[in-house]
Amino acid sequence: MTWELFAVFLGSSIRLATPLLLAGIGEMLSERAGVLNMSIEGMMLMSAFGASVGAWATGDPLVGLLIGIISVVPVSLLQAFLSNTLRANQIVSGIGINILVLGATTLAYREIFGARSRAEIPGLAKIKPPLIGDIPVIGTAVFEQVWLLYAAVALIIITALVLRYTSIGLAIHAAGAEPKAVDKSGLSVTGIRYSCVLFAGFMASLAGAFLSIGDIHTFTEGMTRGAGYLAIASVIFGKWRIGGTTLACLLFGAATALQFQLPALGIAVPNALLIMLPYLLALLAVGGLVGRQLAPATLGEPYRR
Amino acid sequence: MTALNRERQLFTAPRLSLRPTLLVPIIAVVVAAVVGVALIAMIGVSVPKAIAAFVEGTVGSPYALAASLNRSTVFALVGFGFVLANRANLTNVGGEGQIAVGGIAATAVALYGHVSGLPLGLAFVLPTLAAVIAGASWGAVAAVLKVKSGTNEVISTLLLSFIGVWLLYWCVQSTALLRKPMTSSATLPESLEIPDRTQLPLLTGDYSFPVHIGLPLTLILAVVVGVILSKTILGLRLRAVGLNPAAAHRAGISYAKTVIFGLSTAGALGGLAGALMLLGEQYTLKDGFSSGYGFDGLVAGLLSRGSITGVIAASLLFGFMRSGGINMEMVAAVPTALVVVIQGLIVITLAGAALFIEKWEQR
Repeated sequence: MTWELFAVFLGSSIRLATPLLLAGIGEMLSERAGVLNMSIEGMMLMSAFGASVGAWATGDPLVGLLIGIISVVPVSLLQAFLSNTLRANQIVSGIGINILVLGATTLAYREIFGARSRAEIPGLAKIKPPLIGDIPVIGTAVFEQVWLLYAAVALIIITALVLRYTSIGLAIHAAGAEPKAVDKSGLSVTGIRYSCVLFAGFMASLAGAFLSIGDIHTFTEGMTRGAGYLAIASVIFGKWRIGGTTLACLLFGAATALQFQLPALGIAVPNALLIMLPYLLALLAVGGLVGRQLAPATLGEPYRR
Repeated sequence: MTALNRERQLFTAPRLSLRPTLLVPIIAVVVAAVVGVALIAMIGVSVPKAIAAFVEGTVGSPYALAASLNRSTVFALVGFGFVLANRANLTNVGGEGQIAVGGIAATAVALYGHVSGLPLGLAFVLPTLAAVIAGASWGAVAAVLKVKSGTNEVISTLLLSFIGVWLLYWCVQSTALLRKPMTSSATLPESLEIPDRTQLPLLTGDYSFPVHIGLPLTLILAVVVGVILSKTILGLRLRAVGLNPAAAHRAGISYAKTVIFGLSTAGALGGLAGALMLLGEQYTLKDGFSSGYGFDGLVAGLLSRGSITGVIAASLLFGFMRSGGINMEMVAAVPTALVVVIQGLIVITLAGAALFIEKWEQR
C-alpha cells in the first residue's frame, strides 16, 4: 500500500466514523443517565431526511442542517416521554420509534421526490484547516473534510470535559448509577434523563445530517442501515467511556472504509464480507471483549420515586 | 405462600381478561388505522379507492387470500418464538436474520443436497430441517454470548440480523455459493429455482389457492408452544428464569440451559419461517427476501403480550395488512411504507400503554 492510498484510507475511515461517533457519544450520555436509547437509528434517519429535504428545498445546506436538528426534537421528546414518564419498556419503545420513522420518512420521501429518485442535494462545505492541511500527502487526503466533522470533534471534547469536570457530569453519572441519591439531593432524575435523551437526539441529528448532506449528498430510503445500532454497540465496546467509544467508532469506520479500499488495491475479498465486517466486529466486541459489570447500574430501568 | 402455591402461580398463563389487555391493542390498531386513512387522504389518493384496493389485495381472490395466509404463518412463527423466549425475559429481535439463514440453508439443501429423489416427503422435510437448525444456531449464538459474557441479547440478535442479511446477499452474489451459473451479464443475482419435489405441497393442490402445508404446521406449533409454555417443566423454567434468575438458580434451574433453550427455539422457529417462505412460495433465493418479515413477526409477538392466541390474531392482521398494502401500492399508488407507519404507531402506543395495563390488572 502506498502512502497516498493509506492517507485516503485514513481520511475515509475518519469520515465514515464521524456519524457513528456523534451518535455514539450522545447514546453514551443517555445510557450513563440510565436510558437505553434504542431509537438512535430512527433519530438519525429522521434527521438525514429532514436535512436533505431542507437543503433541497432551500438550496442552503445550513438551513437543511437546522431543519434536520429540529425534526428530531419531537422524536427525542417521544422517546423521553415513553421511557421516563410512561415508564415503557425502552427496547420496545425504541424499536417502535425506529419502525415509525422508517415508514414515515419513506412515505414522505416518495411523496416529495417520487419513487426511487436520487436527486442530488446541496451538501455542507468542506474545509481544509491551515497548517495540518498543508502537510504533503496526508494534508488533503486526511484533513480536507466537511466542517461538521471538525464541529463534531469539538463537541465531543466539550462533552468529555463537561462529563469529567463539572457537577452536570456528576449528576448525569449519578442519575444512572444511584438515581435515589440524586432524587434525595433535590435534583430531578426525570429532568436529567429527559435532558440526556434530548442531547442524544441532538447528537444523532448531527449524525444523520452528516450522512445525507455531509457525506453522500442524497437521501435514500432507510439509509442509516443499522448505523444507530452500531453506535449502541460502540458504547458497549467502549465501556461507557468517551475514549473507548471513540476508538470503537474509529474501528467501525475503518472496517467500513475497507470496503472501498481493498478493491482499489486489487485485493479480491467478497464485497458482502466487507459490508458485514463492522457488524461482525461489533458482535465480537459486545460478545467477548467487554466485562460485564461496567454498564450503568440502572440502565434501561425507568425511575420511580 | 407455600411452595405448591408458588408453583401453581408460575404455571398460570397471563390472565386473559377482556378489559385492558384486549381492549388496548384493539384501540391501538383502530387509532393507527385511522391515522393511516388520514395519511392516504393527505397524499391525495381517493380513500374509497385505496380501501377497495386494500380489500381486493386481502380477500379479493382465492389467490390473494392464500398469499395473506401464507404471510401470516411466517409472522406467527417468529411471533411464537418471541413469546417463548420472552417468557424468560429474553427479547429476540433477530427474526430477520433467522429467516435469512433459514432460507439460505433450505435453498442449499434443496438445490445441492441430493434430496429431490427421496421418498416420503423427505425431499422437502430435509431442507426444512436444515433451515430449523440454521435458525436455531443463529439464536444459539446470541444465547451463548449472553450466558458467557452477559451480552444483552437485544444488541446481539440485532447485529446477527444484519450479519444474516448480508450473508444472504453474499450467497446470491457469489456463484461459488448459491448464485445460479452466470450465462450472461444479465443473469440475476439469485439462486436456481428449487426442484419441484422439494417445494412444500399445497393444501388443495391448486395453484389458484396456493396455501401450503405451512399453515396446518403453524397451527400445530401454536398448540405445541402453548402447551410447552403453560403445561410443561420447560415452560416453568422459562418463567422462573424470567421472573427471578437468582431464585431460579437456587431452585436448581440452570440459567444457561434455559437461556440457550429459549433463544435457540426462537431462532429455530425463525429458521422454519424462512424455509416456509422459500420452499412454499418463492422457490428461488433472492437478496432481501426476508425484508421486514422478521420485524413484523417481532411486532406480532410484542402485540400479543405473551399470549399465543394474541400472536395468531396479530399475525393475521399483519399478513392481511401487508397483502392489502402491496395491492394498494400497485392499484392505488399508496406506498407500502404506509403500512410500516401504522405498525410503528401500534408498537409505540402499546409500549406507552403498558403501565396503564399493568396498573389496571393490579386493581
